[in-house]
Amino acid sequence: MLDKYLKSRIPDAEKLVEDLSKQFDYVSVLGTCVNTKAIRVSTRINSLDEVDNECGFVIKVYKDGRYSEYSCNDIKGLKAATVKNAVKLDEVYSAEFKVRMLEEEEHKEDFLREDPSKLSNKQIIEKLSAVKDELHKKEARLINVNAAYVKRQVSKIFVSKKKRLTQKYDWINVMLSTVVREGDNIKSNYSAQGEADSTLALDKFAKEAEDVLNIAVKMLNAKPVKPGKYTIITDPSISGLIAHEAFGHGVEMDMFVKNRAKAIDFVGKYVASPLVDMYDGAASCLSAASYFFDDDGIEAHSTQIIKKGILQTGISDSLSAMELGTEPTGNGRRQDYQRKVYTRMTNTWFGPGNDKYEDMIKSVKHGYLLCQTNNGMEDPKNWQIQCTASYGLEIKDGEFTGEMIAPVVISGYVIDLLSSISMVSDKVKIHGSGMCGKGHKEWVYVSDGGPYLKAEAKLG
Amino acid sequence: MMKKSEILSCLKANKNISAYELNILDKDSRELFYVLDHLEINRAVKVETISIKVYVNDKKSTGTSSVVVTAADDAKSLSAKLSKAVSRAKAAKNPYYPLAEKKENLKDLAKTKKDLNEVATKVAKAVFKANVYKNGWINSTEIFVSNFKEEFINSNGVDHVSESFKIEIECIPTWSNKKEEFELYKFYESNKTDYKKISEEIDEILNLAKARSAAKTLKDVKMPEDVKVLVKNDMLESIVRNFAGDLNYRSSFMHDNHYNKGDKLSDTKFDLTMKGQIAGCSASRRFDSHGTALGSVKLISEGVVKNTYGDVQFGYYNKEAKITGNLPLAQIKAEGTDYKHKPHLIIENFSSPQLESDSGYWGGEVRLARYYDGKKYIPLTGFSISGNIYEDIKNVEFSKEETTTSRYKGPKYMIFKGVKIS
Repeated sequence: MLDKYLKSRIPDAEKLVEDLSKQFDYVSVLGTCVNTKAIRVSTRINSLDEVDNECGFVIKVYKDGRYSEYSCNDIKGLKAATVKNAVKLDEVYSAEFKVRMLEEEEHKEDFLREDPSKLSNKQIIEKLSAVKDELHKKEARLINVNAAYVKRQVSKIFVSKKKRLTQKYDWINVMLSTVVREGDNIKSNYSAQGEADSTLALDKFAKEAEDVLNIAVKMLNAKPVKPGKYTIITDPSISGLIAHEAFGHGVEMDMFVKNRAKAIDFVGKYVASPLVDMYDGAASCLSAASYFFDDDGIEAHSTQIIKKGILQTGISDSLSAMELGTEPTGNGRRQDYQRKVYTRMTNTWFGPGNDKYEDMIKSVKHGYLLCQTNNGMEDPKNWQIQCTASYGLEIKDGEFTGEMIAPVVISGYVIDLLSSISMVSDKVKIHGSGMCGKGHKEWVYVSDGGPYLKAEAKLG
Repeated sequence: MMKKSEILSCLKANKNISAYELNILDKDSRELFYVLDHLEINRAVKVETISIKVYVNDKKSTGTSSVVVTAADDAKSLSAKLSKAVSRAKAAKNPYYPLAEKKENLKDLAKTKKDLNEVATKVAKAVFKANVYKNGWINSTEIFVSNFKEEFINSNGVDHVSESFKIEIECIPTWSNKKEEFELYKFYESNKTDYKKISEEIDEILNLAKARSAAKTLKDVKMPEDVKVLVKNDMLESIVRNFAGDLNYRSSFMHDNHYNKGDKLSDTKFDLTMKGQIAGCSASRRFDSHGTALGSVKLISEGVVKNTYGDVQFGYYNKEAKITGNLPLAQIKAEGTDYKHKPHLIIENFSSPQLESDSGYWGGEVRLARYYDGKKYIPLTGFSISGNIYEDIKNVEFSKEETTTSRYKGPKYMIFKGVKIS
């Protein structure tokens, strides 16, 4: 159910919209309550906490060609004059410029998606502890196991003259990290599950635990990659990372407004191999960023960004869409109620192809299967890419050699990388456990994924 | 929001709570968001964030759980939240540790509160004062000007209060070479209203964008294999943070540290000191999140590990005689090397500096570097560097030039030999 407190503030939000509308041409109120339960069981330290909880409001107003916002803890009894004074600027450096006003259509709806599993804290701790204890029995070099269950319960209201929306949704992440040590040689490996159902997330976590440990142990003997250009097969997590960094950030349309994205000149043109389809959207699949409406009050969309290698469109928040004369795609997101809306990715993924994974491996003369997202960085203006995989497995003449490299940095020019994709597997996996910053801040929950991809890339 | 006295009454009324910590953070900020030199949106943020950590102790164990107090709370709802927190704390026990002891209660109040609108406007003017080039411009700018008040109270009688001020600027400069446009990224953070310095920093990053627009590739230069590589800013701070993290009490408790007291970390005789306050560092703090008053401790002396540092929990676990608190700032002192007259490569801007603390892998894709070939600097782009920091630190050198950032004071450049460039 929608957070009770937030529900109790809907009449206050409506009153505030009415009062402020006497002085401003557009007014909206977004209310947010996020309750997060985090249970951590580890070899040495345990915790059961409420973390990153937030509850507050942001009021957006428009007058004379400029938007202003006011973030506060509560709106009960909040006077229109308080908002007006807070956002007033007597003197500000700015060239003559007027932003256009948001136009909205009538929309009143309530949305709900809750975790169907009702597990007690004790049950969750038992499941996490069982995995931790079992792993310690298997490997003497294992120095730390960290198992964590995090459940986010998000409630939001959006009220303007034409809109009255509410949503409540849950998302569960279960993470496992294993740290192994042999003298001064320390290596770690992790897995992260994201599901809308606690039972499902915990079951997947338990199933993958032994593999997570085995890979960490194998990483003790991993070698650094010899820098150079190689044939690569990316696992779904690395495919997702490439989708996210190579083209996700590049088609965030607030970057189009700022002329910060090369992609604006490539709409309708080939940007990737004809084998490539790419999607984004809160409604494109059920994953970490599957909300019902965004922080502008726009309903969730599914957007096809690349179709058969050709760039179709970008993704946008309301303001960017208005600036560019396009339709908003429900990608307006805030880190929290204290922060501004930006165009942000949601669930970003490459679509499936027709190839079998086994055939893809067999086709490699010398290269690497790159696995496990570590991190990445975008460069939407100049289309340089940097993606880091936790490890790579060597393939020679279509067979794994048993050699591992770690970590592996993929870098190069986005178009070169995407154009080199020559095989795409027939199954897609989405990883619903990521976080994404814009530049170096503004963190939001995202997912990404895709099929296995075969490409040519520079590794270092 | 509930008053502090009401919250403390609820905490004292729950007899199952052995001890508590209360953190209250007030934030008042003004924010300006520009596209080119057009103000697109301005924001005001006036919020209070209150968090409580409850402790349920017995002689051998400590259970803790955190509670966030929101505007939705009153005495009744908070009491219910605290009872739930007690249950959670009982379910997740750790070895016993005490709270920070009362010594001196710190009152670090600002002499005058900054007028945020006035400062934000002056910051904007200082940023755009540097926007004077024909082929280069500031593409987007975000300005955050904030006053903070932080209070910490625990059930041992610790009662600190601290006020601070911060300017943050994110700026994206672009330069056109008439064929293509090139951009870089700049984040500036300071607790001083030094508008001249802001203009200088923006001018510097605009000129680095200009350099990127004219940058060549590795193929265009003949670089000796053993060229010295100089890193600064984010990468330098990542390296310092990595060693500081390894020497935190927590790392040795978790058994994932690479160094212990007495270990020789480097043949280079440099000192690393962790501090609570350094003039000009905007992340300076008087106390940490457990209320421990912050001073300083020398972790590395002449390349040898002398001390560790950290918070009260892991300090107690490690049986440290004098617990330092989690010190946020790092200072390096070292004899500077004269690198300027021989070929060297200065990494100005990474896509994202990488450093993996377990393996020691460090490096990343370089957006802009400057190679000195013995006669002149040549801007370079489109390559990567990589190395192993635990090996490379053994013969690190430092520049004579100094810098002060939000969390670091010391040599402007770390200088490495044998780094892979590809």
